[in-house]
Amino acid sequence: MGLTYDGCSKRAYLFDNALEALQIESIKNCEILYFSASSNFSQQRVVEESDPRKLSQFLQDFYPALQIDAVNKPASHAGTHAKLMQMLPQNSEVKTIIATMNLRSFGPDWVHSNLETALNQSEVMYNNRPALLNRLLVSLRAYDDKSESERLEDKLSAWESESLPYPAPQNNVASWCAVEKWGDWKNPSRQLADQYIKQFALVIDEHHPRIKDFDAMAALAKERGWNLVFNLLPENLEVADSLVGNDLIALMMQNRDWLLKRYSAQGVIVSDNLELLEDQYFTDKTFPTEHFNDEGRKLIAKALADDMQALHSEHYSTPTWLNTPSS
Amino acid sequence: MLFNSIEFLVFLPAALLLYALLPARFRWILLLLASYCFYGFWKVEYLGLIAFSTLVDFLVARTMGHTKNDSKRKLLLFMSLTSNLGLLFFFKYFHWFLDGVLLPVGLLSEPLTQQLHEQWSFLLPVGISFYTFQTMGYTIDVYFRRAVPEKNLARFALFVSFFPQLVAGPIERFSNLHHQLFKGLSLSYANLQHGLRLILYGLFIKMCVADNISPMADAVFANAENASLTERLLGMTLFAVQIFSDFHGYSLIAIGTARLFGIHLMDNFRSPYLATSIRAFWSRWHISLSTWFRDYLFIPLGGSRAARWRVAANISVVFIVSGLWHGANWTFVVWGGLHAFGYLAEKVTWNSPAAARFIPAPFRWFITLSIVVVAWVFFRADSIAAALSFLNFSHSGEGMNLNTDPWALGFAALFLWSDLVFGREGFHLWIDRKPLLVRWACYGLLLYFICGFAGMVNHPFIYFQF
Repeated sequence: MGLTYDGCSKRAYLFDNALEALQIESIKNCEILYFSASSNFSQQRVVEESDPRKLSQFLQDFYPALQIDAVNKPASHAGTHAKLMQMLPQNSEVKTIIATMNLRSFGPDWVHSNLETALNQSEVMYNNRPALLNRLLVSLRAYDDKSESERLEDKLSAWESESLPYPAPQNNVASWCAVEKWGDWKNPSRQLADQYIKQFALVIDEHHPRIKDFDAMAALAKERGWNLVFNLLPENLEVADSLVGNDLIALMMQNRDWLLKRYSAQGVIVSDNLELLEDQYFTDKTFPTEHFNDEGRKLIAKALADDMQALHSEHYSTPTWLNTPSS
Repeated sequence: MLFNSIEFLVFLPAALLLYALLPARFRWILLLLASYCFYGFWKVEYLGLIAFSTLVDFLVARTMGHTKNDSKRKLLLFMSLTSNLGLLFFFKYFHWFLDGVLLPVGLLSEPLTQQLHEQWSFLLPVGISFYTFQTMGYTIDVYFRRAVPEKNLARFALFVSFFPQLVAGPIERFSNLHHQLFKGLSLSYANLQHGLRLILYGLFIKMCVADNISPMADAVFANAENASLTERLLGMTLFAVQIFSDFHGYSLIAIGTARLFGIHLMDNFRSPYLATSIRAFWSRWHISLSTWFRDYLFIPLGGSRAARWRVAANISVVFIVSGLWHGANWTFVVWGGLHAFGYLAEKVTWNSPAAARFIPAPFRWFITLSIVVVAWVFFRADSIAAALSFLNFSHSGEGMNLNTDPWALGFAALFLWSDLVFGREGFHLWIDRKPLLVRWACYGLLLYFICGFAGMVNHPFIYFQF
C-alpha cells in the first residue's frame, strides 16, 4: 500500500461528506471554477421552475467556449473554499476562480453554526497527507468539534457583546431583538425580524475570521496567477427593510462598501449583487437565505458575467434566454 | 480528554517519556501531576471537586487511624459517606429527585421545581461516580481495619486521581493500588508490550465496533414505533454489543495505559455474554463495580448469612442501588430490578445441583442472555413507557428501512468471536503465544481497521455519563 497522497486509494476512506476532495483533484480542464454553498442550485421542486439549472450553468451560457465547473458544498464558506483552492492540481487549466461572498456567512449564527463540526471534519480529508492518516485523524477528532451547547454559548455571547454603531438598544443584537416592534415573540413577523437582525447586524473588520479566509484566497490567487472574483450574493433587503428598518440596511451597506474597498485594492473583482434582487426572487420566506428561483439565478449570472467580462471578453456571448421573456 | 482523541495520543507518549526519564522515586509525583492535568482538561472546575473529596477522605481516614473509640470512628465514617454521597446526590440526582420524587408526591410545586432547576443547574462532573466510590471504599476499609491510613496527602491524591482509571474505572481498592503506586514504579519492556497490545485491542473495540454500531442502534431506538419486529430485535442486540464493546474497550485502554507505567489494574470484563446465569453474568460484567457492591453493601447488610427473605431483600437492594448508580432515572431502577428478579428466580430454580442436571447449559445461557438483553432496553430508553413500548412486539411498525453497515456488523461479529476465543486470558496473553509473524499481522490488521474504518461520529464512552 503506497504511502503517498496519490498512491493511497483515497476514495476507499472518503466519506460522503468529503467527496469534494476527490472532485477538486480531478479538475484539470476547466477554465472557470465556481465555489459556492447551496446558493448555486434550486431549492424548489423541478416542476416549479422553467429552467432548474444551477447558477453556474447559467453563467456558462455567457461563456459557451469556456468550461465552467462548480464545487458546491452546503453550508460551506470562505474557509472551506480557501482550503479547496489549495488542493487544485498544479497542472489544472483554471484561469478564473469565482467564490461566493455571502454577507450572512460573517454572522455569529454561521460562524458558530453546528454545521461547522461536519465541515471541520471533512476538511481534515483535504490535507495533503496519506488518506489513511487523514481518516485516522478524523476518527481521533483532530479538528474543532465543539458541542452544540458550546457553539450556542459562543453565538449568544457574540450577540450580547459585539458592539454595533448605534445607541442603545441597537448597540448589540441581543438588546436590538428585544425591542418589540412586532409585538409578542410568537408573531412570525417578530421572529423573522429577529432573524434578520441576528444574521446581518454586525460590523466586519480585518480581525473577522472570514476576512482571514478571503485574504488567504486573494493571496493564493495572486501566487498561482488566477483571476479571482467574489460574488457578493443578493440579500432580501426588501423584507429586511420592512421588518427591521433602515438601520439594518445601512449596516449591510456599510459592510458591503468595506468589503468592496478591501478586495478591489487587492486586485479581486467583487461582483456587487447585494441589492440586485427583490423579494419575489427569494424562495425561502421564513428565514433569510441566499436561495433563489431560476429567474433570480439568471439575473445573478448575468451580473456576474458582465462584471467578469474584462477577464474573458473574447468569449462573452449573450444567451438566448436573456432576450426571451419567461413564460 | 478521551482515550480515542488526538490530545491523548500526544499526552500519553509525553507522560511516558517523562516517566522514563525520571528517577523511580519521583515518578509518582509525575503521575499525580499528569492525572490532575488529565482531569483538568475536561474542565478546570472539576479539580476542585476531586480535591475536596480527596481531602475529606484523607482527613477522615487519618483521624480514624488515631482513634480507637468506635463511636467516633463511626461518626467519621458517616462524615465520609455523607460528603461523597452528598456530592453524588447534588450533581447527579438532585434534578431527578425534584422531578421524579418530590414533584409527583406533591411536596413541591411546579413553579418552585422549575426555579430550583434553573438556580441549581450544573453539568455532571466526569467520573464522579467512580472516584467517590473508590474513596468511599478506602474509608470503609480503614474503618474495618482492612487498610492502614495513608499518611501522605499527595500520595493519597494519586490513588484517587490515577488517570487511566479516573473517569470510568475500573474502581480500584487501596490494597491493590497503593503498594504499586508508591513502591517502585517500574518501566519494563514486558509491561510496555502488554500495555500497548491492550490499548490497540481496546481502541479497535471502541472505535471500530462500538462507534460503528452506535448509529444503527440509535436509529432503531429513535424510531422504534416504525421499526419492524426484526429491526427491534436487531436494535436490542446491537445495543447489547455496543455497550459491551464500548465499556470493555475503554476498560482495556485504561488497563493497558496503567500497564505502561507498571501498574496492574483489575480486569473489568470476562466474557459476560457467555454467562449461564445472572449470578455468573455479574461475576463477569463490570467486575470492579459488582465486587464493590458485594463487599461494601451486600455483605454489611448481612449477605447470604441471613434468613431467606432477608437475603432476597439484600440482593434486591444491591441491584436497585446498582441501577441507580448508573443514572438518575426510574429506567435504571427497573433495569436493576430485572436483574434482581432474574437472580432470585435462578436461586429457586436452576441454581440447585439437581435442577442444573436437568436444565442444559445452552438453555440456561439463552435465558440469561435474553434477560440481560431485555433489561438493556430499559437501560437505553429515556423512560419506562418508551422501554415498554419498544418491547411491545405485538405493535411493531411496518419497518424503517434500517441502513445496516456491513463493516460494522462484520466488526461486531469479529469482536464476539474473539471474546469467545480469547477466554479468560484476554487478547494480550492469547497473542503472546502466537508466532512473531502472526502477532505482527494481527497488530497491522487492527491498526489498519482503526485507521481506515473507525466510526466518525463523536460518541463519548457510554459510561462517561455515569
